[in-house]
Amino acid sequence: METPRIDIWYGIAEIMDFGYPQNLSPEILKLYITQEGVRSPFSSKPKDKPVPNATLQVTGAVGWRREGLAYKKNEVFLDIVESVNLLMSSKGNVLRCDVTGKVLMKCFLSGMPDLKLGLNDKIGLEKESEMKSRPAKSGKTIELDDVTFHQCVNLTRFNSEKTVSFVPPDGEFELMKYRITEGVNLPFRVLPTIKELGRTRMEVNVKVKSVFGAKMFALGVVVKIPVPKQTAKTNFQVTTGRAKYNPSIDCLVWKIRKFPGQTESTLSAEIELISTMGEKKSWTRPPIQMEFQVPMFTASGLRVRFLKVWEKSGYNTVEWVRYITKAGSYEIRC
Amino acid sequence: MTGMRGLSVFISDIRNCQNKEAERLRVDKELGNIRTCFKNEKVLTPYKKKKYVWKMLYIHMLGYDVDFGHMEAVSLISAPKYPEKQVGYIVTSCLLNENNDFLKLAINTVRNDIIGRNETFQCLALTLVGNIGGRDFSESLAPDVQKLLISSSCRPLVRKKAALCLLRLFRKNPDAVNVDGWADRMAQLLDERDIGVLTSSTSLLVALVSNNHEAYSSCLPKCVKILERLSRNQDVPQEYTYYGIPSPWLQVKAMRALQYFPTIEDPSTRKALFEVLQRILMGTDVVKNVNKNNASHAVLFEALSLVMHLDAEKEMMSQCVALLGKFISVREPNIRYLGLENMTRMLMITDVQDIIKKHQSQIITSLKDPDISIRRRALDLLYGMCDVSNAKDIVEELLQYLSTAEFSMREELSLKAAILAEKFAPDLSWYVDVILQLIDKAGDFVSDDIWFRVVQFVTNNEDLQPYAASKAREYLDKIAIHETMVKVSAYILGEYGHLLARQPGCSASELFNILHEKLPTVSTPTIPILLSTYAKLLMHTQPPDPELQKKIWAVFKKYESCIDVEIQQRAVEYFELSKKGAAFMDVLAEMPKFPERQSSLIKKAEDVEDTADQSAIKLRAQQQPSNALVLAEPQPVNGAPSPLKVPIVSGSTQDPDSVARSLSQPNGTIGNIDPQIPSPDLLSDLLGPLAIEAAPEAVSTDQHGPIGAEGVPEEVDGSAIVPVEEQTNSTELIGNIAERFHALCLKDSGVLYEDSHVQIGIKAEWRGHHGRLVLFMGNKNTSPLTSVQALILPPAHLKLDLSPVPDTIPPRAQVQSPLEVMNIRPSRDVAVLDFSYKFGTNMVNAKLRIPATLNKFLQPLQLTSEEFFPQWRALSGPPLKLQEVVRGVRPLALPEMANLFNSFHVTVCPGLDPNPNNLVASTTFYSESTGAMLCLARIETDPADRTQLRMTVGSGDPSLTFELKEFIKEQLITIPMGSRAIVPAAGSGPAQPVAQPPSPATLADDPGALLAGLL
Repeated sequence: METPRIDIWYGIAEIMDFGYPQNLSPEILKLYITQEGVRSPFSSKPKDKPVPNATLQVTGAVGWRREGLAYKKNEVFLDIVESVNLLMSSKGNVLRCDVTGKVLMKCFLSGMPDLKLGLNDKIGLEKESEMKSRPAKSGKTIELDDVTFHQCVNLTRFNSEKTVSFVPPDGEFELMKYRITEGVNLPFRVLPTIKELGRTRMEVNVKVKSVFGAKMFALGVVVKIPVPKQTAKTNFQVTTGRAKYNPSIDCLVWKIRKFPGQTESTLSAEIELISTMGEKKSWTRPPIQMEFQVPMFTASGLRVRFLKVWEKSGYNTVEWVRYITKAGSYEIRC
Repeated sequence: MTGMRGLSVFISDIRNCQNKEAERLRVDKELGNIRTCFKNEKVLTPYKKKKYVWKMLYIHMLGYDVDFGHMEAVSLISAPKYPEKQVGYIVTSCLLNENNDFLKLAINTVRNDIIGRNETFQCLALTLVGNIGGRDFSESLAPDVQKLLISSSCRPLVRKKAALCLLRLFRKNPDAVNVDGWADRMAQLLDERDIGVLTSSTSLLVALVSNNHEAYSSCLPKCVKILERLSRNQDVPQEYTYYGIPSPWLQVKAMRALQYFPTIEDPSTRKALFEVLQRILMGTDVVKNVNKNNASHAVLFEALSLVMHLDAEKEMMSQCVALLGKFISVREPNIRYLGLENMTRMLMITDVQDIIKKHQSQIITSLKDPDISIRRRALDLLYGMCDVSNAKDIVEELLQYLSTAEFSMREELSLKAAILAEKFAPDLSWYVDVILQLIDKAGDFVSDDIWFRVVQFVTNNEDLQPYAASKAREYLDKIAIHETMVKVSAYILGEYGHLLARQPGCSASELFNILHEKLPTVSTPTIPILLSTYAKLLMHTQPPDPELQKKIWAVFKKYESCIDVEIQQRAVEYFELSKKGAAFMDVLAEMPKFPERQSSLIKKAEDVEDTADQSAIKLRAQQQPSNALVLAEPQPVNGAPSPLKVPIVSGSTQDPDSVARSLSQPNGTIGNIDPQIPSPDLLSDLLGPLAIEAAPEAVSTDQHGPIGAEGVPEEVDGSAIVPVEEQTNSTELIGNIAERFHALCLKDSGVLYEDSHVQIGIKAEWRGHHGRLVLFMGNKNTSPLTSVQALILPPAHLKLDLSPVPDTIPPRAQVQSPLEVMNIRPSRDVAVLDFSYKFGTNMVNAKLRIPATLNKFLQPLQLTSEEFFPQWRALSGPPLKLQEVVRGVRPLALPEMANLFNSFHVTVCPGLDPNPNNLVASTTFYSESTGAMLCLARIETDPADRTQLRMTVGSGDPSLTFELKEFIKEQLITIPMGSRAIVPAAGSGPAQPVAQPPSPATLADDPGALLAGLL
């Protein structure tokens, strides 16, 4: 325990020198740990790795990337992950809706590459058309709110040219985060009807419609339909997937593993309630919740137009781009 | 319960849960499961039902809400087999309470089990009823349970349970046990051999006896016999002895039951009981073992309260006290606490106080105990046991303790010290010493009342004044003194500083300097007091000291522009007054003596009462023969308060000179100097001056003639106080009692009765259905009236509570005795005061009607036509609305009649009735049964024949309507003389309306009204 503690002090001293934040990048901090952990005698012998000069990197122009990296195959992975938050009234009016998105990157690139990313966002496109002095292409442009970048992005160039250009750190990192409040494409529509028939019976009818492209499909769709606490017996009819009553969360849980686009699916259930002693408290009707993942679909409509890699040696790179939309808190009142 | 795998799996699942959330999920899942099962009645086998009901119980015990399945639980009660029946009973008694409707379904099944032959089922059923049985159960099951209890064929096990079950049924419905038949059986039950059954039966007996002890008097000797059996014969099976004590529970219960009987008549029973008690008192001691201690002390304390209850002989009492004395010297705090507490309870018995006093030093040691509750008990006890003989020691001890006591106790402590000092002061200078010390040591905790009181004392006792002044001067020499001390010493030095003038360091200018030093340190409320003191100092400097005058004027000048209005006004006025020379002297004359009043401190102490149920103050209040205040003849010098009497406070009210002087002061200035007159009790302020000051006023009129401002008519009957020389032994009635009563019916204060020896005044305040009357019984003679008795004979509709009247009224003194009145329902009957006294050898007796008549519970209410007519129409016909044609009415003009109505609080609403010959009136009536109730009335008169009229009265209560109608009729037919007398006496025309009912404030100093009362 003694050794790690010294390391922790050392690390903290590097991070917060005299109480001022100095160096928060974990990649660099790793370099400071010169101690070896306690190794069991049976584990393989430690590799002799060159001890890179941390000081140089910190004080250098590109603090977040070591020099002299080399990969056989130069690859870049780019994921756009969005989560949709929705609150819809029982009549289908959208009460609150927004998308929070992240651009995640994983770089395996040699040397000191310079990358440039082009998205179909509004300001970027306008600036581009202005510079190239030609009218902006008609097509969907996205307005991004609250954009935050990783420290590697060159902000001066972003301010002047509105392009995202950067020297990436090695490995995995989050390039940017954003939020969108307008023009959200909702992947699912839910039409619930819940009828209370007397004190001990209820009828639930839920129709779920997928409104994304027919070629796409959603995975892991779960619809949670709340029911009163005194639910005793349930009877289901579903067109797809499987449903059951989960008493510990007081919900009917309807699971559909794969949900193709432009289709619809319904659940109808008859519920019997048990009579209770306490005075009948009216049921508060909590909202229906939904979980899903839709690959290759962005609720915001954001697309990567280009990802350019430029390096002195001029090697070829392979770029991989993925999109995925998940449900945040996707709630429909009933 | 074995073989229910589902249940044990569930329980082990719950036990294996890592956290609360996991447990909740598991429970919710199980509840869902149970719901599904209960819904599928087809597959619900008895086994499953039993299992799930057990699970429900388990979930309920874990604290989750189980609000279904009660039906299933109740239905299991009627199952034929034991395992199902058992769970049914257990779960029903856990999940349901007595008000649950489901229980009604079970009554019949339970009854079948009780009257059945199966013992086990009987026990189950009795336990259920004993735990949750309600009224319904008691109505249908009580006879069966009684039968079980007395049946000889039942095993003790069942009868034990039956006794407790019957206890529950009795508590829920006292009618469940029929007194006539049951008393004998109860006595038989107490002959039981089995201790278990006996214990349960005694519990039942305690409840029965608390309700009606007369019916069960045959049980009394049996209880004594039980005690004898337990404590003397030790005739108890081994399993019922607890640490060698024979069934302490039964002993305690038997003694508790005995305490509900007022006395024990039979000498042999009494002797036997005392023998037992003696044995308990002798046999109890403090031992090592805690459990044994607890048990034996429980028995002991019960025995103590029984001893106190029975008023045992003195030896036994002293034995008790000696035992308690042993207790309070034990190390164990619990025992010490109990010892102190019980000693406080012992104080109720008067003749043990001397014995308790022997332990005084030990009690004082307890005051320093580390345990606060012990300290509190000790304080209570000290407070309770204090009397003239030990007051000095105790108060000094309290004062010493004050500086070390913790803050939470200091206020109570200082208050108690102040009260004791006041009550039991051997001499007054000691009292002043104590209070000044108190202020010095714990200024923050000394409430204003305490220093007001000291000022009152000093003002009212001339020989105390120089002493107090020199003491105050001494305290001022201290470097840091409390603000309260500044206040009190400033006041005293201002008033009496000149008495010290010859002593060194006490000249006016020196006094001014030392007081003025304190000025910057005090807060705003103190500054006016200091300013008054300066003014008085200035006034007392003879010959005038120009330097001092300059200094004081500078101070007044400075405060002329003070932001505080009070300070500013005083500064300006004193400055102007001080320029006036001789007039200044008159204005700032010495403060007149204060009217005596009950110490507000004692009242306050009653408020401050801590939560302990048996506090010494209360006990003391019960002990006191009366809380009526006795005002004695002023003999401050030699008339030191005699010991062991009600707080007799010496004071003067009858010095004609001082009163005359105080009266002759211009009204305005009194107002200016007055603000510091302490008025601890508004009520007594209001009540105080009424009759007391009326008398000297009359005397002074005789001497000095009319005093302009007061305007007392010259023909005032001076016989309010019979001149000393004219004293005779005969008793002459002064005034007509009936007329006085009628006059008092319409106003709230006046004289109720007067003869040549005594005058009884009355003053009343009414609020809703409550009233507070104060009877002022004044002795007009120079010799005391003895054997004074005042008894109230209340009618059924009034609840009257008269504080006890002292046996003797000292010469020329007045006794106040409050009388609380509560109106329960409308009625015209009146309460009667049976008043008697002995003067010399003559016994005088008078039966006086108390003016708590129907109209006192009316409150005037003016209605508009929009309010009136809907109400009037809503009251449809008899019995809510009654009409009657009244003949033989005394002819009255309409405005006069309106006045009459207004005078008994029935407000005439003019302009509501279109016919000018009609009167419409409204009022609100208050009583406990009706609450506030609107009453409406309409009088239609015939201008041609004034002796007849038609009257309609309506209210929401039939009896109220009737009573009110009859009351108004009475008033109209025999118009009381008193009320008519008012009008001419006030010197105005007969038509002058007495629109407003006379308020007490105007009456108190309205001589016309007083005069009317006398006529």
